[in-house]
Amino acid sequence: MKRLLLCALAASAAARAQRPTIDISNARVQAYPIALAPPSGAPEGREVMEVLAADFDRSGLFRLLDPSGFLADPAKEGTTAQSIDFSKWTAIGAQALVKASASLQGDTIRVDFHLFDVPRATELLHGEYSAPRASLRQIAHRFGDDVVRSFTQEPGVFQTRIAYVRETENGKQIVVADSDGFSPQQVTSNSINLLPAWMPGGRGLAFTSFRDGGGAHIYQVDLAGRSVQPLVRMGDFATGAVFSPDGIRYAYSASQAENTDVWLSPIEGGIVRRLTDSRGIDISASWSPDGKRIAFVSDRAGSPQIYTMSVDGNDVRRITFQGNYNQEPAWSPKGDLIAFSGRDEHRVFDLYVINVQTGKVTRLTQNAGTNEKPSWAPNGRVLVFSSTRSGKKQLWTILPDGSNARQLTNESRGGSDPAWGPLPQK
Amino acid sequence: MTDGTQTVHRSLLGGDPRIGALGPGLTLAIALHLAVVAAAFFLPRLFDRPQPLRKPVIAHLVALGKPRDPRLLPRKESAAPAAAAPASVPEKAGAPSKTSAPTRQLTRQELMDRALAGAARRTRDEKPDPERAGEETGSAQGTAASAEEGEKYFGAVEDAIHANYVVPSVISERERMYLSATVVIYIARDGAIVKHVMTRPSGNSFIDQALVLALQRTHLPPPPPELAKLVREGVEINFKP
Repeated sequence: MKRLLLCALAASAAARAQRPTIDISNARVQAYPIALAPPSGAPEGREVMEVLAADFDRSGLFRLLDPSGFLADPAKEGTTAQSIDFSKWTAIGAQALVKASASLQGDTIRVDFHLFDVPRATELLHGEYSAPRASLRQIAHRFGDDVVRSFTQEPGVFQTRIAYVRETENGKQIVVADSDGFSPQQVTSNSINLLPAWMPGGRGLAFTSFRDGGGAHIYQVDLAGRSVQPLVRMGDFATGAVFSPDGIRYAYSASQAENTDVWLSPIEGGIVRRLTDSRGIDISASWSPDGKRIAFVSDRAGSPQIYTMSVDGNDVRRITFQGNYNQEPAWSPKGDLIAFSGRDEHRVFDLYVINVQTGKVTRLTQNAGTNEKPSWAPNGRVLVFSSTRSGKKQLWTILPDGSNARQLTNESRGGSDPAWGPLPQK
Repeated sequence: MTDGTQTVHRSLLGGDPRIGALGPGLTLAIALHLAVVAAAFFLPRLFDRPQPLRKPVIAHLVALGKPRDPRLLPRKESAAPAAAAPASVPEKAGAPSKTSAPTRQLTRQELMDRALAGAARRTRDEKPDPERAGEETGSAQGTAASAEEGEKYFGAVEDAIHANYVVPSVISERERMYLSATVVIYIARDGAIVKHVMTRPSGNSFIDQALVLALQRTHLPPPPPELAKLVREGVEINFKP
């Protein structure tokens, strides 16, 4: 009997050995179909769900299913797995389902959210979120981030903020808004202020300003107290401060003796170091996520192109060779891509990403106005940029493959120079 | 001569003053011309036949132009038509989708392969040359002819499954880059996947679910007779990122 079993096992092993094998790779990536059921309870719940839907839509992670195609009656269904007929949600192609009930107690709105895995008919996430009525949108952002983390194990960016420059009667002012463009708050009030950059932890911003006369210099503003202090006053002008990922130093460009170079300063003060020393203009520094390299723009070869160098200024490598005017590099948080704006043969600036390893350039925007100043979301899945495609310059988001462009701001005189802030500190 | 008789010279071309300045010859010439014009006008109508239909020739002029200068920044590739969103189109629960592989323009190489495959099919009906095709008791590694068929068939299997190999964007990029899984599929004579067994799951339920969905949506061509037994006993599919 034992011998028979061994023979059978041997035969089975032989059959497996002879089994043809096919390797399949390069899967297509598709947004995850999700249904947001109309919430029950207080009418504010509907407002929260609209904010959540807009967040999901912008993220590119989810494909929102059209409520007019829902087969289930949300009014009759409950919010527990047992009370939901999942076959009706499976039938419309839903892979995930969000249900919510809202209540208003005084000035506090409370929303009870449930996230379900439709094919498995199980609950993935359940949470009660409450906030003052005025902060209703934050409830949606918080739950949205929790959903993203539940699926991707990566942080969501709905609770982050974006700084940008607003055109006003009194010049260009620095504004901080939520990641969806809502709740903009102006943090400067006069002069021309440009190129906001987030300080470590998101506690403040550095920006370039002409406020004190004598050319452009770098200032910092504390977001809590709104106090503005000089950060770099150096040479003819200083501009474009960017903080290292570890938050202990910052790079910027400064012009001395008619030569503009990239410089490095410790955040606590100390020895300032010049990183570039070419006769051309070296500007627009951007840190790699590991803090070991810096991308920058230089015209040392005759036209503005993107270069990278090690943080000590050595090992300079030119990375763009197509086009004759490439600028504004933004190194992705994942480290694999650098986004930049480049002027094409039609003399219009558009967005591109270059793979740092392969050098392959991919165009993100085309035939849609002028598109400039890309800035990555901290999870590296979305970019914000300024575009004239809808008239005046406004902020837009786009995915790194050039899809899913969405307008964020509607500034009457225009908005530009976006800088996506860090993840909120827990 | 001057007998008082008045001599009147009449030319053939001249007209009788009583009937006007035109002579009969000119009148005749005009009449003949009128007749010719009238004939040209009326005769086609007498033999009124429908004019042959002339379809307009619509030509799309395609300028191939010069290849793009590699020193220029790249252009975006033309956007593919957006896939229809199945949001409001209920599907039959549990039933495998009838979605087939997206049609695309065949390349010259693929057309050549198809022609060769057709020729191979035609010659298959011929009595096989035992020396070429081998005997039933021959090598388990197969023969040259069956290897060619196998290569083509397994290529078709790969294409059909790959067309449905879609992973959700909510999977983290790290997992998408490194996770892999193995599934054994059992193929019937009509090409149906009668069973699949996940012999090595990826460890991520979203990916495993996507693989199962891909197999449920896949419709394979019937295997060639010489491969029917082999594929019925299982084909191992290694899904890689």
